[in-house]
Amino acid sequence: AIHQFPASAAVLFFCIFVPISSGSVLSELSALQSQSPNGVIHLHDELLRRILSLPPPRPFHALVFFDAQKLHSKPDLSLATLRSEFALLASSFQLNNPNEKSQLFFFEIEFQESQSSFQLFGVNSLPHVRLIPPSASNPKTDSIPMDSSDFSRLADSMADFVAAKTKFSVGQIHRPPVISKKQIALIVALILIWIPFFLKKLIAGQTILHKKWIWMAGAIFIYFFSVSGAMFNIIRKMPMVMGDRQNPGKMVFFYQGSGMQLGAEGFAIGFLYTIVGLFLGFFTHILVAVKNRNVQRLVMMLGLFISFWAVKKVISLDNWKTGYGIHGYWPSSW
Amino acid sequence: RSDPMVAAKISQSPVDLLGASWFLKSFKLKTKQQELLIRVSILCLVYVLAFIVRLFSVLRYESMIHEFDPYFNYRVTQFLINNGFYEFWNWFDSESWYPLGRIIGGTLYPGLMVTAALIYWTLRFLRFSVHIREVCVLTAPFFAANTTLVAYFFGKEIWDSGAGLVAAALIAICPGYISRSVAGSYDNEGVAIFALLLTFYLFIKAVNTGSLAWSLGSAFGYFYMVSAWGGYVFIINLIPLYVLVLLITGRYSMRLYVAYNCMYVLGVLLAMQIRFVGFQHVQSGEHMAAMGTFFLMQVFYFLDWIKYLLDDPKKFHAFLRIGVTSAVILGSVALGLGTASGYISPWTGRFYSLLDPTYAKDHIPIIASVSEHQPTAWSSFMFDYHVLLLFFPAGLYFCFKRLSDATIFIVMYGLTSMYFAGVMVRLILVATPAVCLISAVAVSATIKNLSQLVRAKSKSVSVGSGKGATSTKASSKVSGAMDQSLPFQRNGAAALLLGAFYLLSRYAIHCTWVTSEAYSSPSIVLAARGPHGSRVIFDDYREAYFWLRQNTPPDAKVMSWWDYGYQITSMGNRTVIVDNNTWNNTHIATVGRAMASYEDEAYAIMRSLDVDYVLVVFGGVTGYSSDDINKFLWMVRIGGGVYPVIKESDYLVNGEFRVDRGGSPKMLNCLMYKLCYYRFGELSTEYGKAGGFDRARGVEIGNKDIKLEYLEEAFTTSNWIVRIYKLKPPNNR
Repeated sequence: AIHQFPASAAVLFFCIFVPISSGSVLSELSALQSQSPNGVIHLHDELLRRILSLPPPRPFHALVFFDAQKLHSKPDLSLATLRSEFALLASSFQLNNPNEKSQLFFFEIEFQESQSSFQLFGVNSLPHVRLIPPSASNPKTDSIPMDSSDFSRLADSMADFVAAKTKFSVGQIHRPPVISKKQIALIVALILIWIPFFLKKLIAGQTILHKKWIWMAGAIFIYFFSVSGAMFNIIRKMPMVMGDRQNPGKMVFFYQGSGMQLGAEGFAIGFLYTIVGLFLGFFTHILVAVKNRNVQRLVMMLGLFISFWAVKKVISLDNWKTGYGIHGYWPSSW
Repeated sequence: RSDPMVAAKISQSPVDLLGASWFLKSFKLKTKQQELLIRVSILCLVYVLAFIVRLFSVLRYESMIHEFDPYFNYRVTQFLINNGFYEFWNWFDSESWYPLGRIIGGTLYPGLMVTAALIYWTLRFLRFSVHIREVCVLTAPFFAANTTLVAYFFGKEIWDSGAGLVAAALIAICPGYISRSVAGSYDNEGVAIFALLLTFYLFIKAVNTGSLAWSLGSAFGYFYMVSAWGGYVFIINLIPLYVLVLLITGRYSMRLYVAYNCMYVLGVLLAMQIRFVGFQHVQSGEHMAAMGTFFLMQVFYFLDWIKYLLDDPKKFHAFLRIGVTSAVILGSVALGLGTASGYISPWTGRFYSLLDPTYAKDHIPIIASVSEHQPTAWSSFMFDYHVLLLFFPAGLYFCFKRLSDATIFIVMYGLTSMYFAGVMVRLILVATPAVCLISAVAVSATIKNLSQLVRAKSKSVSVGSGKGATSTKASSKVSGAMDQSLPFQRNGAAALLLGAFYLLSRYAIHCTWVTSEAYSSPSIVLAARGPHGSRVIFDDYREAYFWLRQNTPPDAKVMSWWDYGYQITSMGNRTVIVDNNTWNNTHIATVGRAMASYEDEAYAIMRSLDVDYVLVVFGGVTGYSSDDINKFLWMVRIGGGVYPVIKESDYLVNGEFRVDRGGSPKMLNCLMYKLCYYRFGELSTEYGKAGGFDRARGVEIGNKDIKLEYLEEAFTTSNWIVRIYKLKPPNNR
């Protein structure tokens, strides 16, 4: 669509000589802003043209999110997430700074319908966010693109970007709660109704909580949760698997290096630990009660084999991961 | 070194040794006496083992204090010994946190120092003339050895004496514990784990016996723990939780009442004597659970008593309804009022970060920056526990199969501490005793069952006679099965026994190896492998600190990142701006800001702090990776948390931290960069590489032409690890 560029530039050139009063654009933008549910204005070529035709310095900053519906299906770009975070940023800004609402506008622009605007800014890769300061006359060179590091913490880091490049501070990001207030009320009501019945049962000793095995399963689960490093995954937000850098089609399940782990890796190892430990309990407490001696033997053999394999696997993986080769220590020299 | 270990394993079933016990028989000892003798001698061997396995660091390096915090403890201990207890208690230290100073007596846990001083005075009294440093170096191994004894008694209390012996042997060499208790690691945790386990043991003993004496003992154990380590909060929350569980499951008894009340009341009164803790037990939110449980218990037992008096169930139910409702309302109103009026302080950040692990990462960079506060990956668990991890779920299973007050406790201790260990690497230490005990239950019970099977033929031997052979339900089932005594079964059992011994001997090898390779490095002296496999020692830290001591005026103020504060005051004997006691975030942020600013701005900040010298740690020549450049982003984050002019993004290029040509301009010209890489461009570090090749980061640096305007190089150690700069006096106007 490169051939469109000179045309739109010509339009722009032309428009500079036909000044539109900034007041009318501003009021139109304010109207659009209040119509939009999250305060993000949908931008198209025509509107952008009119905005840019205002003589600098314009009375407002503009933060533009470049979107492409077609690319929403690509998970590694996470466009949809970023877009909703951008909307969150907009609504939080407008909520926190009602007086500065008309000094910083948030826009989104769609690739399919506004290709020429993409050209105008020279945007050829997404995700992309640009800030157009009031003084910008050339949209390509005078506007400020957001670094990829500014997306890293989603709305929070975008807010830092806004604070750094404009004089506005976004303030606290108002994330919608995972469950709405009505749902909370409903859940609380249900729990309140349920409690007396539960207490009655509890006193009578008939609940699932009186079963020893449920506590045992819970205990084993906590163990599994800890040793598999699940907490590490949560805190560091580690992915389950990772794409190989050299070979994009391949998945990396195990990360080499001791201070790090991937999600699936930890769960696999935790599972191996747990299975061996449980076999030990199972053999000594349940298997001995089995009447059929052949079944006993068979299960025992199988269990031993699996345990042996699991332990061997864990040890070799550990040595591979940490690079430590464990060996007997004999004091020949130090 | 693994021999005593294996011996300990064999001893689960004392009868197992009967084949070799002709020697004992010749002394005409009864079976019971023989068992006692074997048990005591094994325990002695384990005791010695626990001590000597921690001496690797002394053999490898020398008898010295390790790391960072221990240097502060050492300095304080020296002060205590030289000036006596009262001076120590009232000590105001003007050499740290300049210009604020620090009230030492009121801001530390004195248990460790007082313990070391007592040991020192005792030795002196016995006419052993030792240096205080040797006492400090060996305190942690000594207490680790004592911990094995406590573990034995604890194991005996929760299962049987066999499990106790195994637990003692396991904990003696468990890397999770060794990591904090090698010789030279003179830190609070060294004595605190002993105190922790002792408190728990005495409390369980009190619950099992209902005796005031044991309960009093546990109160004193708690006092010792409070005096030694901030981790006492774990005790004061775990024990109430345990009591609560016993109440709910209907396992309450008069024994529990006696144990908890005595322990809580006396423990709290004693703990208040520690100035650093003070009134926290009645004021801080972290301790409210214990107090709530205390009151709940009174109500609970009072109701029980009323029930006993009123034999009409209808009347009692009415009473119960009113009583419980009003008690709950009263309690919540009191808690709400206390919190609202500010009398009860809210939870601290560290506590929050345990409950909501993502809290620290977002809100408190100074907690998140410490390497030992990182979450634990599976390989760290493997490294610190090895086969114990495999035995742990089995041990849980065994404990559930034989529930008692004691096993409930150990399961709860194991699970809570295991969860916390997953949140923070350093809390693996707290989980270690529980893991060892629970695993010991599994190991001991399994081996006992197996060896009974192996010895099935001669089952006339009185198995049930010894204390160590309390037969479980499980083992009675096994003996039921072995009545048929098939030869195949015996062979299978023997094979399994061999397998278990193999696993345990691998454990012993792993532990010894880990201790010698990973946990015995003092980190004040660095060792590396030379090109021909020989050992190269870098003693740059001490070189720098002694240079400071010898060549700077006694009242000089040294600025460095807080990690080195304790070492500079202790070894260099000079005043520092910030140190490892991170009590004042603003002060640390000021230092971070200075390090991250351009030289002229930094100079103004440093002048305002009266700084004379700046010390940086640099690993570019040696490839030492935990240097200030790698810590630099944390300085920026902590500085930026207080002074918003410092922004992390200014030091990053596309989210990446770089020091080479592609680094951000602010990074390449900030004070820290200049001080680390001053004159580095002229130096050729690696053959075939251009000058200024940073070996720690593997890149050629981006700014080789560094001119210092306001500072001058004062001293650089032989391997460039520590570099000291002097501030030039301000220009005459």
